[in-house]
Amino acid sequence: MDKPTNIRNMSVIAHVDHGKSTLTDSLVSKAGIIAAAKAGDMRFTDTRDDEKERGTEFLINLIDSPGHVDFSSEVTAALRVTDGALVVVDCIEGVCVQTETVLRQALTERIKPVVIINKVDRALLELQVSKEDLYQSFQRTIETVNVIVSTYHDAALGDVQVYPDKGTVAFGSGLHGWAFTLRQFAGRYAKKFGVPKDKLLAKLWGDNFFNPATRKWGTKSSDADGKPLERSFNMFVLEPIFKIFDAVMNFKKDQIGPICEKLDVKLTSDEQDLEGKALLKVVMRKFLPAGDSLLEMIIINLPSPATAQRYRVETLYEGPMDDESAIGIRDCDPKAPLVLYVSKMVPTSDKGRFYAFGRVFSGTVRSGPKIRIQGPNFVPGKKDDLFIKSIQRTVLMMGRYIEPIEDCPAGNICGLVGIDQFLLKSGTLTTSETAHNMRVMKFSVSPVVQVAVEVKNAADLPKLVEGLKRLSKSDPCVQAWIADTGEHIVAGAGELHLEICLKDLQEDHAGVPLKISDPVVGYCETVKAESSIVALSKSQNKHNRLYAKAMPLDEELTKAIEAGTVNSRDDYKARARILADDFSWDVTDARKIWCFGPDTTGPNLLVDVTKGVQYLNEIKDSCVAAFQWATKEGVCAEEHMRGIRFNILDVTLHADAIHRGGGQIIPTCRRVCYAACLLATPGLQEPVYLVEIQCPENAIGGIYSVLNRRRGQVFSEEQRPGTPMFTVKAYLPVNESFGFNSDLRSQTAGQAFPQCVFDHWEIMNGSPLDKGSKIEELVRGIRTRKGLKPEIPALDHYYDKL
Amino acid sequence: MTSAVSTFSASGEDAITRTIELNIDPSNTQNIAPSDFLEIYEIERTVAAIVEGDFKRIALQFPDELLCHSVPIYRLLKNKAGEGHDIYVLADTSYGSCCVDEVAAQHVDADLIVHYGHACLSQPSRLPVVYVFGKKPIDVDDCINQLGQCLTTQLQQNTPSNSNNRLSILLRYDVGYSCYADVIAHRLESELQSLNTRVLHDPLPTRLDPKTAMQIPQTAEQTCAESDDDSLKSVIIAYIGGESLNLTNLLITHSHCEVYAYDPSTRSAQLQSHRTNKLLMRRFAMVQRARDADVFGILVGTLGVTSYLSLIAHVRKLLARAQKKSYTISVGKLNPAKLANFMEIECFILIACPENSVIDAKEFLRPIITPFELEVALQAEGTWSGRYVLDFEKLLASDSETDLGSAAEDSGGDPDEPTFSLVTGKYRQAKRYAGDSKASTEGTSAALTLRNQDGALSKLADSAAALFLHSRSYQGLEAKIGEDSPSVLEQGRSGIARGYSDDHS
Repeated sequence: MDKPTNIRNMSVIAHVDHGKSTLTDSLVSKAGIIAAAKAGDMRFTDTRDDEKERGTEFLINLIDSPGHVDFSSEVTAALRVTDGALVVVDCIEGVCVQTETVLRQALTERIKPVVIINKVDRALLELQVSKEDLYQSFQRTIETVNVIVSTYHDAALGDVQVYPDKGTVAFGSGLHGWAFTLRQFAGRYAKKFGVPKDKLLAKLWGDNFFNPATRKWGTKSSDADGKPLERSFNMFVLEPIFKIFDAVMNFKKDQIGPICEKLDVKLTSDEQDLEGKALLKVVMRKFLPAGDSLLEMIIINLPSPATAQRYRVETLYEGPMDDESAIGIRDCDPKAPLVLYVSKMVPTSDKGRFYAFGRVFSGTVRSGPKIRIQGPNFVPGKKDDLFIKSIQRTVLMMGRYIEPIEDCPAGNICGLVGIDQFLLKSGTLTTSETAHNMRVMKFSVSPVVQVAVEVKNAADLPKLVEGLKRLSKSDPCVQAWIADTGEHIVAGAGELHLEICLKDLQEDHAGVPLKISDPVVGYCETVKAESSIVALSKSQNKHNRLYAKAMPLDEELTKAIEAGTVNSRDDYKARARILADDFSWDVTDARKIWCFGPDTTGPNLLVDVTKGVQYLNEIKDSCVAAFQWATKEGVCAEEHMRGIRFNILDVTLHADAIHRGGGQIIPTCRRVCYAACLLATPGLQEPVYLVEIQCPENAIGGIYSVLNRRRGQVFSEEQRPGTPMFTVKAYLPVNESFGFNSDLRSQTAGQAFPQCVFDHWEIMNGSPLDKGSKIEELVRGIRTRKGLKPEIPALDHYYDKL
Repeated sequence: MTSAVSTFSASGEDAITRTIELNIDPSNTQNIAPSDFLEIYEIERTVAAIVEGDFKRIALQFPDELLCHSVPIYRLLKNKAGEGHDIYVLADTSYGSCCVDEVAAQHVDADLIVHYGHACLSQPSRLPVVYVFGKKPIDVDDCINQLGQCLTTQLQQNTPSNSNNRLSILLRYDVGYSCYADVIAHRLESELQSLNTRVLHDPLPTRLDPKTAMQIPQTAEQTCAESDDDSLKSVIIAYIGGESLNLTNLLITHSHCEVYAYDPSTRSAQLQSHRTNKLLMRRFAMVQRARDADVFGILVGTLGVTSYLSLIAHVRKLLARAQKKSYTISVGKLNPAKLANFMEIECFILIACPENSVIDAKEFLRPIITPFELEVALQAEGTWSGRYVLDFEKLLASDSETDLGSAAEDSGGDPDEPTFSLVTGKYRQAKRYAGDSKASTEGTSAALTLRNQDGALSKLADSAAALFLHSRSYQGLEAKIGEDSPSVLEQGRSGIARGYSDDHS
């Protein structure tokens, strides 16, 4: 624990049902936390637990994370505190949507991946593939991973593509408890051939062929006489495994003994009596113990905190790279000032209280001394979102077990007691007064599905409020707020996610019966064109006028703002440079962005393009306030605006300051924004899921009919080579996704398993201003739900004639 | 010379010819033959009151839509009352026209106000008031029919098991129908005879004196509440009148009762209570926003309702105890422009007559709440019983009870602990504007004040306005001496604000 070079912080990430948890267990069993006999039979880590395990001299902090896409935010929280990731891929299903999402996320966090191709036993037992087919399928899976990895070229992180011949890919079966990397085989054969291990390692993968007759290596698949040669991987690696499988599963009793002997596998007399799969398990586990090979892979290939923090500090820390905190993080120095990032809140057995779970990046955390607790809105030098408190206790969290510890030095992961009331979901703890925040986590999922909850019994209302607080604390992604109509809204990533959240809310956090509305989708308001004429609004005293136009913002730029790469907190000159270089903005315009909105960070811009207007700087604050208000409640349906640029073209102001105060300007600026929108062909954007469905061929018809009915668009349909399984990928509007799973199941006799993940916002056809259109109906529905007049206010409500 | 003047000011002709939009209620008595004036405006009764009380100066207050009748009424009153009584017609009111404008009346030193048209009947604080409600047209037969039908079906559906308990129906109405109230109450009772009910109603007072506060006659609502204590829940309210603030207020203050309304203009009766929950929930959302505010503005929205001053004092005390900053502001009639001038204020509390208190502030930048809602907002998490109070007296009365309780509850918990804001779904740390006497004595002492880096004296310990100023990007004129070259004089705009001569299209 005190030697950062001997620590590995890693997370296990995978698509749902790829055997991640079973694999985690076999890793953990190696360290003896749970008995080896139970690994594989008992799934231990399916919840959002984390494991802690001690190797002989290494300390490995392992965090298992849920595989369902709706819970990606949990994975994000796990990634933040780790430096490496074990990516588990099912050898039959290949890289799926969740694998991809999470892998991308890991790479943006500068987390080094290693891959294990899991469930190899199934390929051998159920599909009976040949050696070459198996090799090809491995090769394809690894390529898919590397395609994703290579799009994230990051000089600081170096090449993180995975290669079997570098030992960064393992193959195995979590269920049977065996796994190997080429390193193991290289070791074995190195002795036999008397060749250096490293040299041999490189020969065991790819187009390398060994000619047993000449005892020479070559790169051609046939020898001089045109006789086909066997690929070295197949010959040296797969051959022994195939032999074992063949001997055991076909009950060739007499062959088992010699094979075992050859492979140095010693069976006890009890074990020799076993048959079939049980025997197979034993033999394979003794031959290639999963724990050993995976631990070796992790220790050799994943970085220690000391290594990782050196390159991660730039992406982790918001402040300058030369302040004491940044240096402390960079050097993983336990004596530097404390910097600790709390990535999530873990409920304790004490109801309503939480452990703050996080990683010490610099310094040492211990109970007692006062520390600074900086929430996400903290700005250095200000007092907002800052608390100075002391930690009550520091604990290690090992699965379900908690162990109190004295202190915890840099590079480790720990839990803290006594600060949960100051942080809602995440935050930075530090002892340095100059420390900036650690960068907030970006989630790949957004809470696009909402329900309104209501207590059945009015007296329970306080409990609901408390429950909502606990719920939003315990889940990194979920949001809860009260709408203008007085309804309590809970928003989550998807139907399943919300269902689980609401169950927790009802049974645990609030503990009161609730009425839950049907799920609805949050839309965004946008514009499709530039305002047809310049919008004008006059202030109430008629002495001030604002002229503005609205126009669509580049989708690319909108996404960049949402991802935080173009940020309202950036220096305006640097931001202008980026806008000019990457988004072809005019530099002078780009420097005159007044603000982002809503919430001062959203993807809408207010730009001052006026020329020589007097007193303009005085009304800026009023305009900013009005813009936040207008973008938060769009003109059509009072949904958030997205992707709109407002240009203030001209302003006339009264010469006397009292007549151009906030009172005159704020309502006017809001009105001119609305008028500009109404003149710019307003439109709605709806959230769209990417759906990935795995199914056998005969289910495809059912899938298409369900998708068609729900406005889904299939954009890829592939057969997984060597298997009868198809992967269908489609876009599906979130609004149509309610009940999609059960619908699909009934249409395909339960053979199709969809995974939905939020992908993008899609502009809807038509405009809410078209009378009688579908979209107008939709807007009326939203407005009625919100208790507004069903009609969109007319233009002259906001537009003033001269 | 004349042309030069016209560039700076218009002749004012515009202002005179401009037509102002009036919210004219179509059911109002617009076209009344002068002969009906005596009857509709109860001239006789008014004169009797004037003569009896020997009032010397009488102020007549009309709502905007009745101003056109002011002259004939004035003449009639003048004629009948005879010499020795000066009568004045007041111009528009500073707040709502339903309230008695005592301040305007005091300008003419009046000793009696005659209030015409719709009234909220708040207790006046200074002058006696005679109310003339006017008579809105109503088809009494149809009203009895419709209401009777609604109530009968309702009552038959859930006939109480213990039928010896007489059901009460409380009749409420728009003041314009007060003259028919007795008739309707009687007929309704006989209509519903078979169902063993009684119909109660308060005759509205036609005159209020400022000091009668102690001896307000018991209202029917109170009677039936007293006679069988908890049965108030089973009272059904029948309301006569159209959609109005009055009805809305009735709904939210009586959320436990069923309310049926008969609208004489559409001639239909309907159950209105289904809206109540929605209305209350909207207000609850408003309360949540108020909970997030640190700086409050107390808006004075009335100068007539009795005990408004003690209520303002009470609200100030509440806010001080919760360590919130408060400003007291009087802006007359509210509009978004006026309130948006106070950017640092995060929530407004409106002290006004019950009819004007509940404002749906969609157009306003900041929420506007009632004193009762403030009390709820300042209480511990989420205590909201569904009760709703608009009446000043009740608020002040309940205050003395809560006083003791809240003092004790203050102690527990870490004062810095952030609260979970339901509006944003995030944690929020309240700013504290402690009104401690300690701080103020320090302020007045000759202690040294720190100079900050910019060399300016900074003494911002407790000033919300100063904090707000710091968050602004524009903080007043910056003297950039020598940085900007003097600009060339330019011809300015000419004309008036609604149409300058050089307007660009």
